[in-house]
Amino acid sequence: MIVELGHYALVLAFALTLVQCVLPLWGALSGDDRLMAVAPPVSVMLFVLVLISFVALTVAYLNSDFSVLNVLQNSHSAKPLIYKFTGVWGNHEGSMLLWVLILVFFGALVGFFGGNLPKDLKAATLSVQAWVSAGFILFLLATSNPFERVVNPPLEGADLNPILQDIGLAIHPPLLYVGYVGFSITFSFAVAALLLGRTDAAWARWVRPWTLLAWCFLTLGIAMGSYWAYYELGWGGWWFWDPVENASFMPWIAGTALLHSAIVMEKREALKIWTVLLAIFTFSLSLLGTFLVRSGVLTSVHAFATDPARGVFILVLLCIFIGGSLSLYAWRAPMLKQGGLFAPISREGGLVLNNLFLTAACAAVFVGTLYPLALDAITGEKISVGAPFFNLTFGPLMVPLLMAIPFGPVLSWKRGDLHAASQRLYAAFGLALLFALVTFWLWGMEKVLAPMGVGLAVWVMAGAVSEIVTRVKFFEIGPKRGFARLVGLPGSAWGTVVAHFGVGVTVLGIVTASAFQEERIETMRPGDSVELSGYEVTFDGAAPRRGPNYTEEVGHFTIRKAGAYVADLDPSKRVYTARQMPTTEAGIHTTGFSQLYLSLGESRGDGAVDVRVYYKPLITLIWIGCVIMSLGAVFSMADRRLRVGAPKPAARRKAVQTAAAE
Amino acid sequence: MTRKQRRLTLIGSAGAVLAIALGLILFALNDQIVFFQSPTDITQNTMPAGQRIRLGGLVEEGSVEKSDNAQVNFRVTDMANAVAVTYKGILPDLFREGQGVVTEGVIGPDGVFVADSVLAKHDENYMPKEVAEALKDQGHWQGGEGEAN
Amino acid sequence: MIFWILLAVMTGVAALCVLVPLARAGKAQARADGSADEAVYREQLSAIDSELDRGLIEPEAAEAARTEIARRLLAAHDKNEQQHQTTASGGRLKAAQVFALAALPLFALGTYFALGSPEEPDQPLITRLSAPAEGQSVDVLLARVERHLSENPEDGQGWSVIAPVYLSMGQPQASARAYANAIRILGPNPEWLTDMGEALTMANQGLVTEEARKAFEQAVALQPSAAKPRFFLAIALGQDGNIEAATKAWEDLLDGADETAAWVGVARQQLAQLKGVPSHESAPNGPSQADIAASQDLSAEDRQEMIRGMVNGLAGRLASDGGSADEWSRLIRAYMVLGEKQKAEEALAAAEAAHSDKPADLSLIKDTASSLGLSGS
Repeated sequence: MIVELGHYALVLAFALTLVQCVLPLWGALSGDDRLMAVAPPVSVMLFVLVLISFVALTVAYLNSDFSVLNVLQNSHSAKPLIYKFTGVWGNHEGSMLLWVLILVFFGALVGFFGGNLPKDLKAATLSVQAWVSAGFILFLLATSNPFERVVNPPLEGADLNPILQDIGLAIHPPLLYVGYVGFSITFSFAVAALLLGRTDAAWARWVRPWTLLAWCFLTLGIAMGSYWAYYELGWGGWWFWDPVENASFMPWIAGTALLHSAIVMEKREALKIWTVLLAIFTFSLSLLGTFLVRSGVLTSVHAFATDPARGVFILVLLCIFIGGSLSLYAWRAPMLKQGGLFAPISREGGLVLNNLFLTAACAAVFVGTLYPLALDAITGEKISVGAPFFNLTFGPLMVPLLMAIPFGPVLSWKRGDLHAASQRLYAAFGLALLFALVTFWLWGMEKVLAPMGVGLAVWVMAGAVSEIVTRVKFFEIGPKRGFARLVGLPGSAWGTVVAHFGVGVTVLGIVTASAFQEERIETMRPGDSVELSGYEVTFDGAAPRRGPNYTEEVGHFTIRKAGAYVADLDPSKRVYTARQMPTTEAGIHTTGFSQLYLSLGESRGDGAVDVRVYYKPLITLIWIGCVIMSLGAVFSMADRRLRVGAPKPAARRKAVQTAAAE
Repeated sequence: MTRKQRRLTLIGSAGAVLAIALGLILFALNDQIVFFQSPTDITQNTMPAGQRIRLGGLVEEGSVEKSDNAQVNFRVTDMANAVAVTYKGILPDLFREGQGVVTEGVIGPDGVFVADSVLAKHDENYMPKEVAEALKDQGHWQGGEGEAN
Repeated sequence: MIFWILLAVMTGVAALCVLVPLARAGKAQARADGSADEAVYREQLSAIDSELDRGLIEPEAAEAARTEIARRLLAAHDKNEQQHQTTASGGRLKAAQVFALAALPLFALGTYFALGSPEEPDQPLITRLSAPAEGQSVDVLLARVERHLSENPEDGQGWSVIAPVYLSMGQPQASARAYANAIRILGPNPEWLTDMGEALTMANQGLVTEEARKAFEQAVALQPSAAKPRFFLAIALGQDGNIEAATKAWEDLLDGADETAAWVGVARQQLAQLKGVPSHESAPNGPSQADIAASQDLSAEDRQEMIRGMVNGLAGRLASDGGSADEWSRLIRAYMVLGEKQKAEEALAAAEAAHSDKPADLSLIKDTASSLGLSGS
């Protein structure tokens, strides 16, 4: 019964999205309050319905109800409970249901918390969101129904791929989905604004928190996925420029550009046309990513051709949403009035520069991801576009952007003074130069690019800090009043500083971990040692061990530094019994921000094994920086000015005023 | 600055950045792309030594030899021709004799392919797509396409 | 029933989500709205004031910004004034209500009946396994015992119950494992040992392995008169090529045996074979030189038997490991020689399936078949 209720809830949700597609939009266009008022309660109800159906599927997984085809194909009664749960979205149908759940979740958020929005914009936005939801629920029901039943179910299901039986899987896809499906609401806002002719500064303000929310989750999702690949795949890489990774990275780049151009639109009502276009592009890239991952084109262009039902369906959705919104854009955009003017050297100019480089970088990733597919489909020629391509295109485009980051926030709006701005950044520049020189002195000509990279990272970090310090004139007014002023700064100012600082941290991690990484590959016998970056890694021997559903060969290693014991590491090679599938579990020791990474290769008989040892200096900064960036988004979202309409707490306002008056 | 000049500056800088990006992309596409070759392609064509390629096929049964220092020699075959490969490093979990493999590297002057990476994927059913298609051309492989998840 | 009630409730709530705002909004929406954008611009103005207070922006920049925002504020205000008269038409309202009241439930139920299986109950594994045993399939019962045993692996009785079931279901390996567990927990017992040996033998296509032999020997040690383990031991000796010992074992076994027992015939046949055949090594896979030589000396019947054994060996190997087109042709030909047309046809079908992707091999097989008067698929 529960399963069928879930199925019905999904069907009912589809019917209700159709209502939502029509009534509120009709109301918004004709100015009928009653029709517009339908949108918020229906958006919440939609979420409730899809949630019921998601819970029903989850219950089927937890109870090992093999009468549900999806459970039968992807679960096993002996699987640990947590993986029965995460198995819900560890497969095509379940993950698409999660996709839809997040779509309607964002609709419900706007319906519930969008009290500050004008009624017509809210109604139209929710309507557009319902269009997208209707498309994807139809996709679920028509091609990938998770509630398909089996009449005489067997007593045991197939298993979940062991590599997916990891806590990383539990957190990574939901985070990533919240991020990239979250951009759907920005898309809906953009289309609604075009329909209603409401593209103005206020619109940019209203969209901002939703963009920030989606961006924040996407940042965390990508970082999480990267760390997961790093420790689970066992070759120490943290980013592979794999098409699946690029599929989530492209919306991130476009979303970052959107966040920045929306600021210009909000403050100066300039770049309206561009911002709306970016909002459409960002979600289009999310859709493209979904198409790439879900249709099977990545496995093989020909696999797609032989079983095209799902792929074609998503492709049609893709064309309808992207094509439709772009046609609407082409029709409406010329009617938009030009906004405020600005000089090339100004805050606006800086943000435009940011957008230029981000867009170019996004285009480079786009070409690198799709070119091999297109070439294969058209000429049948097989090529691979790997890391060298992306490093050569994406890398150089990032360098000027990073150099420009600290300048942006110190330039004033409209007409900036580059000379005055530079004066505020002398300290940051000095610090960056110092670090670059020290790096150069330590490593010499051996690694020419590394000092520049380190300097750049320090420049971005120090620039962020010095911006905020000079902004409140910290050293001129003394620490006490300085702190009061710092605390009184609006959340969005803090958001900028924190997020930019995070960028610097990530860049530092990337530069040091790739330039100064040390690596040894050895065949070791028990008792053998290798020296690496001052650490002595001793192989004590290997022993078999049994886990709940796998057997493993565990290598025991002792790490010493200058003779003193540091840690034991036990990397292993596992074989999951059900599928006879091997996986590698790396042994990782973290000291400070750096890591020592051990992974086992083949055994060679007589107790010898191949061992790969890495020392990765400051590598954890890569992910810590991402967390700091999303923290910046949280600060920005907490900005009370985003909640316009709600009365401000009087006490706080007074506190700020007294602080300012001191 | 007049309005027109401002607009020109904006368009000019946008054009410049895009031109740089385009230049980089074209240059990289020209230079950094790696072509996929089967052992037959390699034996038939005379590739210039030093050209990076991806070599895919099956690991020939009985050809894997391991020597010390994590050095591995094996042969990659498409059932018609085979190419000797040497690789130093840890082989992926799913590397097995008789299974599909994709290696990337350059052909040495002695005709031995020096690989610097050997690829494997998450799924045990996964056959690198180039390998699957190349083998299909040779008529040596039939089987379901692994479902992409 | 409760299912249908819940279905109705969900549908009802969904319809109400549409109907209630439609009914209420008409009355309660007198409150002026549309000032949302004005609020944003006012907030921007006050933000400029507070930034100016704290000296974060220069006075003239603040002034410029203020004029700009004020202009936006005025424009928004004008626009909102103009748009303020909302149009509410009765026709639209009625259409919307019909939509919610009729089209929504009809569409949802219609689609659900087309896609769903409302009569299909949930089947959680736990309830399926704990349902009453009456009328359950063997699979369910087996799974239930398996589950019980995986939770109580020390239940020897349970293992001894499930072991013969496995054997009858054609899972000799599992059966042998279950017997081994029963013996480990409850101690050796000649019947279980014998059955375990038999299961192991079946698992190895009739070859009495070392492990099986040990089980039989242990059974004989516990109960020297038992016929079955001795029977298998005799076979084992024959398979080892130890003719003398095997002959002796068969003779001992037949000595004083109950002539009506089913195995006696087989035993005699085996004995006769051993006596007729001079010492040779058994070759499970292919005929050795000695086999062929021996076959010349055999009677017509025996020769037929031997060929049949070889053919079966070939068939088994081809079925499990595959083989070349030549080998398949040989098998088809052999079946025709033995007068087993049906088997020949089956082999032909299997061969065609195995070589469907290799046209050259396929045509070879087809040629063979047509020369033998068989027609391929």
